[in-house]
Amino acid sequence: MNAALAPAAVVVRRTIAASAERLFDAWLDPISLSQWMRPGTIHSTVAQVDARVGGSYEIVMQADSGPIVHTGVYRVVDRPKRLVFTWQSVHTGPGETLVTVDFVRVDKRTEVIITHEQLPESARPGHDKGWTSALERLQEAFT
Amino acid sequence: MGEYKTATLNGVFNALCDPTRRAILARLTDADARVTDIAGNFPISLNSISKHIRMLERAGLLRRSIVGRDHVLSLNAEPLSAAANWIEHYRRFWEGRLAALDAFVTKQDKPKRKRR
Repeated sequence: MNAALAPAAVVVRRTIAASAERLFDAWLDPISLSQWMRPGTIHSTVAQVDARVGGSYEIVMQADSGPIVHTGVYRVVDRPKRLVFTWQSVHTGPGETLVTVDFVRVDKRTEVIITHEQLPESARPGHDKGWTSALERLQEAFT
Repeated sequence: MGEYKTATLNGVFNALCDPTRRAILARLTDADARVTDIAGNFPISLNSISKHIRMLERAGLLRRSIVGRDHVLSLNAEPLSAAANWIEHYRRFWEGRLAALDAFVTKQDKPKRKRR
């Protein structure tokens, strides 16, 4: 059960041989998004982006079963360090989820770190970080 | 992908977002405990502890059995599986997207790279 309790946020990371600017821009450019925001089962992706704090985006992925619509609002747009946006789709349910993307220079490469978390109903922007790190500590306590 | 019981999921994530409630769960992973024992572990009132316990019960994370005059709490991990499924779905999704992002930018950058 310890393993089940541990992860309350998804954290994935990958170091990529490209500049932070190049990678950051790929998250906000609709043409770029249509290329890489396309899982294997998706025929095509169309993205619309209003890349500013408070601006919204829509990413529509065409699957066999029909379109899967992802929407959200940008909360932090800090090029080329950090991008934070809400993320909602049929798979996230009615609650709001939050995606934080950090870009960290490692020599000439960049580590991209994605943190995706469910926001508790009472959560406000600014509390998210503490919540995540607290859960990480909990995770440590259980392993 | 599958459908997730989002009500359960929200309840679980809400329950976990408070340090006192996480500490109560951590305490109960060791062994079942009486409400009064748990209250003794925290520098807050029994009333406050009871509120946290009720919230954990609503999320389905705690079971309460009454033994004589004692209320004994035990951990119920089942609702956590919904949260674990959600986590697993998005872990795979984002790992796949990062691999695609890698391929996309490194493929695009190559022709621009000057060689000496």
